[in-house]
Amino acid sequence: MKYDNTREFIYEELLSKVEKPGRYIGTEWNSIHKNPETVDIRFAFCFPDVYEVGMSHLGMKILYHLLNDQQDIFCERVFAPWPDMEEVMRKTGIKLFGLESRDFIDSFDFVGFTLQYEMSYTNIVNMLDLAGIPKRSGERNEGHPFVVAGGPCAYNPEPLYDIVDFFMLGEGEEQLLEVMELYRKWKSSKGTREEFLKMAASVRGVYVPKFYKVDYNEDSTIKSIKPITEDIPGKVRKRVIKNLKGSYFPDKIVVPFIDIVHDRIMLEIFRGCTRGCRFCQAGMIYRPVREREVEELVEIADRLIQSSGYEEISLSSLSTSDFSKLNELVERLVSKYKSSRIGLSLPSLRIDSFSLKLVQEVQKVRKSGLTFAPEAGTQRMRDVINKGVDEEDLLNSVGAAFETGYSSVKLYYMIGLPAETMEDIQGIADLTFKVVDRYYRVPKEKRGKGLNVTASASSFVPKPFTPFQWEPQDTINTLIEKQRYLQKAIKKKQITFNWHEPYVSYMEAVFARGDRRLCDVLIKAWELGCKFDGWDQYFDYEAWMQAFKDTGADPDFYAARRRELDEVLPWDHIDVGVTKKYLRGEYKKSLKGELTRDCRTACTGCGINLLQEGGVCK
Amino acid sequence: MMHIRLKFTKGNEVKYISHLDLMRVFQRALRRTGIPISYSSGFNPHMEISFGAPLSLGVTSNAEYVDLKLAEPMDVREIQRRLNDSLPDGIRILDGIEIRENHKSAMSVVSHSRYRIRIFMENVSSDELTKKIEEFAAQKEIKIMKEQPKKGFELKEIDIKPLLVSMKLIESKEDIYTIDCLLLSGSSGNLKPGLLIKAFKEFTGYDIQSIRINREQVYGLKNGKLLDLLEYESAEA
Repeated sequence: MKYDNTREFIYEELLSKVEKPGRYIGTEWNSIHKNPETVDIRFAFCFPDVYEVGMSHLGMKILYHLLNDQQDIFCERVFAPWPDMEEVMRKTGIKLFGLESRDFIDSFDFVGFTLQYEMSYTNIVNMLDLAGIPKRSGERNEGHPFVVAGGPCAYNPEPLYDIVDFFMLGEGEEQLLEVMELYRKWKSSKGTREEFLKMAASVRGVYVPKFYKVDYNEDSTIKSIKPITEDIPGKVRKRVIKNLKGSYFPDKIVVPFIDIVHDRIMLEIFRGCTRGCRFCQAGMIYRPVREREVEELVEIADRLIQSSGYEEISLSSLSTSDFSKLNELVERLVSKYKSSRIGLSLPSLRIDSFSLKLVQEVQKVRKSGLTFAPEAGTQRMRDVINKGVDEEDLLNSVGAAFETGYSSVKLYYMIGLPAETMEDIQGIADLTFKVVDRYYRVPKEKRGKGLNVTASASSFVPKPFTPFQWEPQDTINTLIEKQRYLQKAIKKKQITFNWHEPYVSYMEAVFARGDRRLCDVLIKAWELGCKFDGWDQYFDYEAWMQAFKDTGADPDFYAARRRELDEVLPWDHIDVGVTKKYLRGEYKKSLKGELTRDCRTACTGCGINLLQEGGVCK
Repeated sequence: MMHIRLKFTKGNEVKYISHLDLMRVFQRALRRTGIPISYSSGFNPHMEISFGAPLSLGVTSNAEYVDLKLAEPMDVREIQRRLNDSLPDGIRILDGIEIRENHKSAMSVVSHSRYRIRIFMENVSSDELTKKIEEFAAQKEIKIMKEQPKKGFELKEIDIKPLLVSMKLIESKEDIYTIDCLLLSGSSGNLKPGLLIKAFKEFTGYDIQSIRINREQVYGLKNGKLLDLLEYESAEA
């Protein structure tokens, strides 16, 4: 059959050959379609994972509509094609395209990646290759798009320093538009690529790696990271939306045809977290806490329901229970949507008797189970990580759940935490047994049938900008030993024990705290066939080890080494607001098992209030 | 309370959407329109909405059917208008009628489907193709290996001859041939047009390069007559 254009060819010939064509249709309800002839800036918003994962991401939904609300910008979505699609694309010479127009993205102005987890990095390299865009920044010229990146992993941008032209750190709503404004100016001035990067570097939050030079010590640690010219800031400060009240939130969201991971309205109730768990990167980098007002949230929910037709709203934040007006918000949403049968879900809830009542109110249909995150098995360990929960809290909550008829609970733990001993591992088994015992203490006629306790143990990955950023990760062998121990210790018919592949966690640890020298390893690994590393069926540890060998880099230097507290860290030139001094203090306290209170009760001096926006937390 | 049957298209724009996805598309479109759809009672209430015979992925249609139960009456034309404003491109409500409360579901009355299959191939004359189709359809049995999705895609040999009612070439134009066929559809026997073409390819050895399939109509059998699903409900018992 003859086709008039590539758009039709892709649709008829390629999509008929792949397993899930619904991933690539691009005409979902509320997707934005503009005539490319009538816009000045074309932006490919790329999520380096499969459609179902990427479409579940709130940040992308916000920025997609924010950009498209600008008349002269056409922003399209791009996801990592699944290997079956990639195969037919390569076979027929179809380059990576924007879902909406099906135009190849190598002719766009910007190709932007959101960095949500380290194990998606090889997909970035693969997507650039599929797009026909040179993988290294220095190989691109005036005819190529600018490759940009943002998202939580961008706070340690160094492993991607030679791939990404510039990074945008922090919340994107304002800085993205500022960068677009500079681009308009630059485009009409017909300047060089270098000139635009210089202009972009003047926007707060923008980091252009090529304008910084890294020097190393003889022991391979970093000696210094310095800007190469005086007009470049020594430190790049993340961007923060000062006040969420009235800040941008789209009136509509794209409604996918196919089932995705989180197929519902995500109502962002606040940003940031005050708990200060020491292992948690999100708890540090998303500070300060800023809430939206109930009135505005109800309005946003209303508009989104009208425009999407979704049947469920999920309250989105790092710790839903901490929203100061949770009760009021839930009551208003429930009473408003009861008759139209729109469900409400409350993830990230700390389950206590109060929230259990809330959950019951909103969930007329009992969901499969409740999730609790004690994170560690012993009180000593929970104090080390500043998880302000004790055994009594947990058993009370679990007990309350059992008494109201729940018979299925999930418990999340981590293994490989700093200073962990086998006693702490045994503690995970002990605590899980106590949960089982608690169920049997509920009278038979009161409790639900068929107890099922799922205990999940993930391997701890030390992350930048946390008090544990200096800590080594447990070796793979130690992690396996701990998993085996637990497997034996926790054996009971009512308990299901899950664990993560330690090999993936190891690679995650390498890249989380990696430096510039890992960029070559990354590209090498891609050459050796690595992609979709977050997917067990594609993760290839042997290939990764080969890539390290070929490039002469030592993965243990990044994952398994204890850093000195005064060592220059690869991300020291990035300022997330929370100070290194504070993190150091938290690290020292953790070693003594000292707790730090929730900073909603009183300031703990993390430094976030000194950001330019200032005085945002009370 | 009111029962409605709607006839709609599943156009090229939505041909890659599965039956399950299509159901979700309708549910969300209905919610956007504010049409007073009825919900089942019980533990897990769901919209009272049911579809006719599922369409294979990649196949378009001019005649799909959906039954709705409304909590309160509403003009059928108003429903049609509102839904057409709220459904994605490719899905258009063409017609609709109110149906009896004790109607049989669209799904349960479907017995036959008519398809038009457009194939693209070179170096075959339309006379030859006509002859081959006749020979193919005149066989005593038509054996073909079929994948069984519920058994891990294990292959099983089946005879599709009893499921093929008629097949003929109706148009040929510049290497594009249009074949019309009437196939059994529904619970008492079901032949997917893709499988028919696969069998035809094996029989002829033709190098068919591209295939487009459109469902023209869906029928129920009533008093010895094939009626489309709107006629079926309006015809006397």
